[in-house]
Amino acid sequence: MQDFRQFGKTAWAGSALLALPLVLVAVLAATVLPASGARLATLFLIYVIAVLGNQIYSGNSGIMSFGHTSFMAIGAYASALLTIAPAAQATALPALPAWLAALAGQPLIVALAAALVVVLVVAAIFGLPIARLGGSAASIATLGLLVITHVTLVASTDFTRGSQTFFGIPRGVPMALVLGCAVAAVVIARLYRSSRGGLALRAAREDEIAASAVGVNVVRLRFWAFVLGALLCGASGALLAHFLGAFSPKDFYFNLTFLMLSMLILGGITTVSGAVGGTAVIVLLVDILRRIEAGGDFGIVTLPPVFGLTDIGIGLVILIVMYRLREGLFGVRELDERLGFEDAVTPTTQPAPVVPPGPGNLKVENVGKTFAGLTALEKVNFVVEPGLVTGLIGPNGAGKSTLINAVCGIVPPSSGRVMIGGQAVAELAVYDVPRAGLGRTFQNIRLFKNLTVLENVRVAANSVARPDEDTAAAARAALAIVGLSDLAARIAATLPYGAQRRLEIARALALRPRFLLLDEPAAGMNPAETDALMEVLRRIRAEHQLGLLVVEHDLKLIMRLCDRIVVLNKGQQIAIGTPDEIRADPVVIEAYIGRKRAAPPPQTPPLGPALPAT
Amino acid sequence: MDIFLQQLLNALSLGGTYALLALGLAVVFSIIGLINFAHGELMTAAGYVMAFALAAALPFPLAIALAVAAPVLLATAMERVAFRPVRGASGTTLLLTSFAVSAILRVLFQNFISARPVPVPMPSALSGVINLGPLHLGIIQSISIATTALMLIGLTLFLNRTVAGRAMRAASEDFAIVRLMGLRANGVVATAFAISGLLAGVAGLLWVAQRGSVDPLMGFLPVLKAFIAAIIGGLGSLTGAVAGGFLLGFIEVTLQAWLPEAWLPYRDAVAIMLVIAVLLFRPQGLLARKTVLKL
Repeated sequence: MQDFRQFGKTAWAGSALLALPLVLVAVLAATVLPASGARLATLFLIYVIAVLGNQIYSGNSGIMSFGHTSFMAIGAYASALLTIAPAAQATALPALPAWLAALAGQPLIVALAAALVVVLVVAAIFGLPIARLGGSAASIATLGLLVITHVTLVASTDFTRGSQTFFGIPRGVPMALVLGCAVAAVVIARLYRSSRGGLALRAAREDEIAASAVGVNVVRLRFWAFVLGALLCGASGALLAHFLGAFSPKDFYFNLTFLMLSMLILGGITTVSGAVGGTAVIVLLVDILRRIEAGGDFGIVTLPPVFGLTDIGIGLVILIVMYRLREGLFGVRELDERLGFEDAVTPTTQPAPVVPPGPGNLKVENVGKTFAGLTALEKVNFVVEPGLVTGLIGPNGAGKSTLINAVCGIVPPSSGRVMIGGQAVAELAVYDVPRAGLGRTFQNIRLFKNLTVLENVRVAANSVARPDEDTAAAARAALAIVGLSDLAARIAATLPYGAQRRLEIARALALRPRFLLLDEPAAGMNPAETDALMEVLRRIRAEHQLGLLVVEHDLKLIMRLCDRIVVLNKGQQIAIGTPDEIRADPVVIEAYIGRKRAAPPPQTPPLGPALPAT
Repeated sequence: MDIFLQQLLNALSLGGTYALLALGLAVVFSIIGLINFAHGELMTAAGYVMAFALAAALPFPLAIALAVAAPVLLATAMERVAFRPVRGASGTTLLLTSFAVSAILRVLFQNFISARPVPVPMPSALSGVINLGPLHLGIIQSISIATTALMLIGLTLFLNRTVAGRAMRAASEDFAIVRLMGLRANGVVATAFAISGLLAGVAGLLWVAQRGSVDPLMGFLPVLKAFIAAIIGGLGSLTGAVAGGFLLGFIEVTLQAWLPEAWLPYRDAVAIMLVIAVLLFRPQGLLARKTVLKL
């Protein structure tokens, strides 16, 4: 966060754009709205803060959190213990420890600040294990957090009056404070979304494995988003408590969680605009439903009270969104991005990223891997040199994937080591491998589908950049190398197949690697696309002196492209040499074609163009 | 030693119920990736049917049969109406859908039945205690342990010996392949829901038998704990779910026995915290299915 420029113009514009309606609501509440309308406006602003807290974590990480309501509860109780009137405290909480009892009667703003400290500590403690989980397991763990908080609040009768109503705090919150918090929440959430961390977390939401491979420490980012979201929820809870004046643990339990989630997903969970819009719609809807629920005379019709209509209404809203409108009212892009505040993407004529030549080679030394007694790979030895293309081939089951996983640190080898320069890479965390100088692409394309082309590359550029560096320039330069400059603003999933493959290469290049591992780069490509790819690879190698390690089934392509070829079969390295040597190697021919056919001495090299390219 | 044995029986009985619930959740999760929040409402439905059947003076075995059949029907109906439209969507979409279904069902129970607890008049013969030397074993408790064992054995036989069962196991490994083999996806998914309904129904009856009443929120807390049991076991692993259920039962009973008096109200909080702590060391759960890493 060292540099505010990292957020980009559009994020600031977006913050202003979304803060505007909040200010408008507050002004209306203070001037023209009747008392009930003003209350509703205040409630809207308070809910917006909490929904944005949920959005920061759930929206960017893609993990639905049921637990952030706990932080509203903690914020509420922690602040209320400090603002409670000393006279009321004696009746309501007679058993409060003396040190805490002595603190009563603080102004709201002091209590709010103190409550945030408490929330920070609790969020950090629970964030550690929860950040390590992904997907549904993480959601359930946050649910556990909600139950833990609820049980603890009910059980801690000395502090909270248990399940009874907590009372005695000054009722009412100054509109200026609520508005200030709400605007701050919008700015924080919107800037976070566009920050380096927010972008990387969104990338991990789209594809966790690919995000790790471009240097994103997913667990750490999830942790910070969890804590930041918790702080916003804590502030909202403290304000809500004083808005209500009296509350109990059940006010911060499932019904509230349900309400918050419906606000978040109706607008669209991935955007800040969606969080604000969804909150507004649901606040109005719930208000209408509550009136109907209470029954009574509506002029034309007289209705009996219907119990639980609000819950049914919210439930139906959620179902409708899930069935018909999965991305919510606002979709996956922010208002500002739609309105064209987007930082202009200009095709660049800048020089390509400077790759430090760097010392040394990528050495695979004696690498072996056994799985529960089964030897998948044994004593593999070869060197990838800068400026040269090394091919890795072998029939199915030869151990190519195992070797790639070992080289990238995904599954460390059982024996031997992989060295880049002087550094052993196999023991590094997956997200540290790119910084050691190795970039990669995947066999089945793994892009960050809902991010733009430029954002895809920028995630990678960010993870190797200095804090003050303009990574957009580096990202554009990488796009220029693969010829995708014109498509920078497109959503990655909408690119044609060949362009998606090239985007993966651009993303890996943005890591400024010294070595690039390409896992079946031509798989599924038509001849024209393959030729375009070959051209890109030749250029990378010639202009940037990268060492390429190419795994490929297309033998024609391998023979055309490579300077040196390593052949694996049944976990053994059976040959290494130039394409001509490999073509003539009887051991290789036997592995590929079988003993009988290979038995007569080959008059012509049997491998090569004649072989079917699979 | 006797105290230990006594607690062990308590833990088996409570853990068994969690295990049945967690298993029901895991059967569905392993096939379509849905964490079914409405599982608790299946339990509650079993309780209500039991209450009404007994109030209508139906014979006890018939009441049980009806009470178990109801959640099976409800579960398959739920799948058909609510979950089929979102099949194949992301885990989050499925989770939120079931969350909404659960909330709607709860409100329906509140409005059409009662927000207050409805008594379930179990036969008085069930409230006795068997004395085995120094051990006091409640009849309901022993039935609970025996039923759990029977259900687990029955399900294991079903999954291993029958074609439908093998199809389910295969589907939990790789649903796409099962469809390519020509098995009907809808049939497999419906069976999974029916089984989860059956397990929820049995667990619901065991739960009601111990509490004597049923209310709209009854299924909520036990199923929440079953979720947690399922993640310690490793989501999607059937054996893991059962193991997680028993583990949670043991943790709760141990805490109940050994926590100081003043700490007892915090029991559930401490139990869940211990479980989350387990996840710090085993983020994939204790018996996570080994996934082949193919990049």
